[in-house]
Amino acid sequence: MNDLCTDIGYRSLNHDGEQLCGDHIDIVEQDDDSIVVVLADGLGSGVKASILSTLTSKIISTMMAAGMNIEDCVSTIAATLPVCSVRGVAYSTFTILRFVQNREAEIIQYDNPHVILLRDGQNYEYPRTVTNIDGKEIYSSRITLRENDIFIAMSDGCIHAGVGMKLNFGWERKDIIHFMESFAGVGFTAKTLDTILLDECNKLYDGHPGDDTTACVVRIRRREPMNLLIGPPSNPADCSKMMSLFFSKEGKHIVCGGTTSTIAADFLHKPLVPTVDYPDPEVPPIARIEGVDLVTEGVITINKVLKYAQDYLADNESYEQWSYKKDGASQIARLLFEEATDINFYVGRAVNPAHQNPNLPINFNIKMRLVDELSTCLKQMGKRIKVSYF
Amino acid sequence: MKLTVCIGSSCHLKGSRQVVETLQRLIAEHNLGEKVDLGGTFCLGKCQMGVCATLDGREFSLSPETTEEFFNTEILPKV
Repeated sequence: MNDLCTDIGYRSLNHDGEQLCGDHIDIVEQDDDSIVVVLADGLGSGVKASILSTLTSKIISTMMAAGMNIEDCVSTIAATLPVCSVRGVAYSTFTILRFVQNREAEIIQYDNPHVILLRDGQNYEYPRTVTNIDGKEIYSSRITLRENDIFIAMSDGCIHAGVGMKLNFGWERKDIIHFMESFAGVGFTAKTLDTILLDECNKLYDGHPGDDTTACVVRIRRREPMNLLIGPPSNPADCSKMMSLFFSKEGKHIVCGGTTSTIAADFLHKPLVPTVDYPDPEVPPIARIEGVDLVTEGVITINKVLKYAQDYLADNESYEQWSYKKDGASQIARLLFEEATDINFYVGRAVNPAHQNPNLPINFNIKMRLVDELSTCLKQMGKRIKVSYF
Repeated sequence: MKLTVCIGSSCHLKGSRQVVETLQRLIAEHNLGEKVDLGGTFCLGKCQMGVCATLDGREFSLSPETTEEFFNTEILPKV
């Protein structure tokens, strides 16, 4: 085991006027810490394409995850896919990315634009071998992973962006490489890089994609632990136990909540210095304690973080807010969504009597629900989450 | 003099941001930045009284509406 891990982000733009996408992405984690990502693009668009690509990606990811070889997968697909009545062929292109124990990537591609690999922020043309399986030309490659490698898999909707509208020949692979190289070194998450790429495609299509457009970005990064403490323990006698467990953990430390940060400051024998700056009028100011990376207010701030998390998983529009703002919620969002890969929550279950006022929208149940929902969202982002209650 | 305003959850919902902004504005208007040290504090344990504030250790209960009056009666005469 090394301490690398994969950060995966993907999204699709639907063909103008279609409710279903003809591209499909499937991700399967294997027991031995390997991950298979399949991007399939079905012939045509709409329902038919959607069925073809869904079948293809499901069949491949399931078979690959079960350890079958690529020849078997391809012949199974060829034998299974329904034949298109208009065109007389059964057809779906695919790209398979398999990350073996975060050491090695295996890329198998059939008829999709070739996967782009950015290494140290530069395009890296990896070696490819062609094999012929059932008359299909399949390119396969094996690459040893390095930290900060960025893999970009696309459907042909990306390289056809803007054909005949803004560009003569569409947005060619080399143009996309050039475009993405400028974002490679910034430290954006896979999801954000993916959003940047697809937003540009959508712009070239003038907001009316002429084809289903899908991109999947996989970023190889180092594991980064993060610890978040919220709420005092239900039994005050457990304070120092909770604090010493929390502060003994590797990685950055975030403390949320007024009373909680007072307890943390006492434990560290350092002063708690609140600020009175409101970079975001909805979010209470942050505070500082020497030895803690970030100190914020509790429920209101976390509620805002949860809103950002839900949006991140949906269309990622509020990224423009939290990516640079200085308020507590935006700072937590950056630490949890972008920096962290493994997050430990330390949740105290003390009931704050001041919050049990029916006129206030903050009570004990809401606090517990917030933590639950936030950890569910973070899991969907691919983070490893551990929640401990006190 | 040392003036602190609670910025905890409960007081935040009762308008501590407006209280802080009003105080910042009044302190600037009267050029009292050197004499009045305005700071935040987390929960003072009297959330029912919010927005909680302390002036040199004495406790006050403020609201966005009463802040200017508090400034005029408690701070201005004493600087």
